[in-house]
Amino acid sequence: MDKVIWEKVHRILPSLSLRDQGQVYVDTSEFMNISYGDVIALNGRHFVVIRDEAERRFGMEDPKFWVKRCRDLETEELYILKLVFHEHFDQHIGSMTIRCFRSPEKESRILELVKNDVRFMQGVTLNDTANNPVRILEMIRGRSLDSVIEDIDVDHASYFQEHFSGILKKYIGACEAVLFLHDHGERHGDIRRDHIWIEHATGRYRWIDFDYAYESTENPFGLDLFGLGNILLFITGQGVHTTHDLAALNQGLDDNLTPEDFSLLFPNRLVNLRKRFPYIPISLNRVLLRFSAGTDVFYESVEELLDDLKPCLKELGAA
Amino acid sequence: MNFKKLLVAVDASENSTRAVAYVGEMLGNTPGFHVTLLYVERFPERDTFPDEDSWRAACQKEEKTVRDFLEDSRRQLVNSGIAPEHVAVEYASASSLGSRRSEGYSVARHVLQFHQEGGFGTVVVGRRGVSKAEEFLFGSVTTKIVHSAKDCSIWVVQ
Repeated sequence: MDKVIWEKVHRILPSLSLRDQGQVYVDTSEFMNISYGDVIALNGRHFVVIRDEAERRFGMEDPKFWVKRCRDLETEELYILKLVFHEHFDQHIGSMTIRCFRSPEKESRILELVKNDVRFMQGVTLNDTANNPVRILEMIRGRSLDSVIEDIDVDHASYFQEHFSGILKKYIGACEAVLFLHDHGERHGDIRRDHIWIEHATGRYRWIDFDYAYESTENPFGLDLFGLGNILLFITGQGVHTTHDLAALNQGLDDNLTPEDFSLLFPNRLVNLRKRFPYIPISLNRVLLRFSAGTDVFYESVEELLDDLKPCLKELGAA
Repeated sequence: MNFKKLLVAVDASENSTRAVAYVGEMLGNTPGFHVTLLYVERFPERDTFPDEDSWRAACQKEEKTVRDFLEDSRRQLVNSGIAPEHVAVEYASASSLGSRRSEGYSVARHVLQFHQEGGFGTVVVGRRGVSKAEEFLFGSVTTKIVHSAKDCSIWVVQ
């Protein structure tokens, strides 16, 4: 490692000894070899690796070796560097299996499209010497939507009365952001409640992670719409309400609930929330029911969803 | 619209094989019918391939499969008794119809456009039967055609 670079690395990582100094990578193809203290050099910029990122789902830590948390050696700013990993795998949604692909090119394209649009994470793409498009992402200081909602420590009636309309208003903005992608021929591809980050400083909702791609289908926006419906259900219910939870409340299928009241994709997930929380307005509940097993009409575009959702906000008195 | 002018929308699947076989059974040796086998190309999603070369190879492989299917189907209809000059084949290429990615690109819409412009009185499609969940997530060409077609009869072969 060059002496000047090493000095900068050592300033950022003072505990790293000269003996343990890493390497400078200009080709990131072998991302598994790149670790703490190594430097990624891209087009005149240098980033020292702090650690691999990990995703926490269902209580498990899932390391993402192709995603590195780094500091820019010149500015000392934190960034997330996503290296190229052309992974493909099966995604299970309810009883269905969908082939999913990780596309760095798609994410780079969307980053360019949403440049300076604060509804999305921001970043640039720099190619390494092997022509791998490395995405350099700005850190969002905040928390995921699901963790914020889970920490609102009040009963559902209070949540719905005091918090929900503000959350819905911002969520409608997030839906409009997805519509913007669709209008420009792109799909988010991985719409989940932990892929909306709420920025501490501004309270803005910002979408992250755009690299999932799928096979072509006749309804290209179906998966994104499914994700939006799931998040709507989550924010309306202040969490997910399963048959298991309902059984604990002694409100199982033997009562007034039928299989049609549950999710089209997840038969144990209650969608007809008005049966559980009668103060949920009919108009909002009707939107939720479009994602239920009982529906015969599906949303085919985010525009259709928004056309139904925006009046709900007015009804809640938050417009 | 001339109901004896049939448009058979195919995609080289088993459903399409059944639809072609059905048309052959129904129309074989009956004069006056004109059949057009139509394939509307949908490129494999470019983002699901790591590079341009592998994507192009997949496109070419798929095109060959479909063209072979169309030729086999044409032969099958002729063998069932439809005059060779009354069986046409159309391969509508995606590059002439839309983009390299699938967003906003509807096979059903192109089939219906072809039907309108060609004055077909009958549209034939195969169907395997999709669940509600599949239809929500992926859509269905057949369902869209059934819902949107006007001025024609539709045969859905299951």
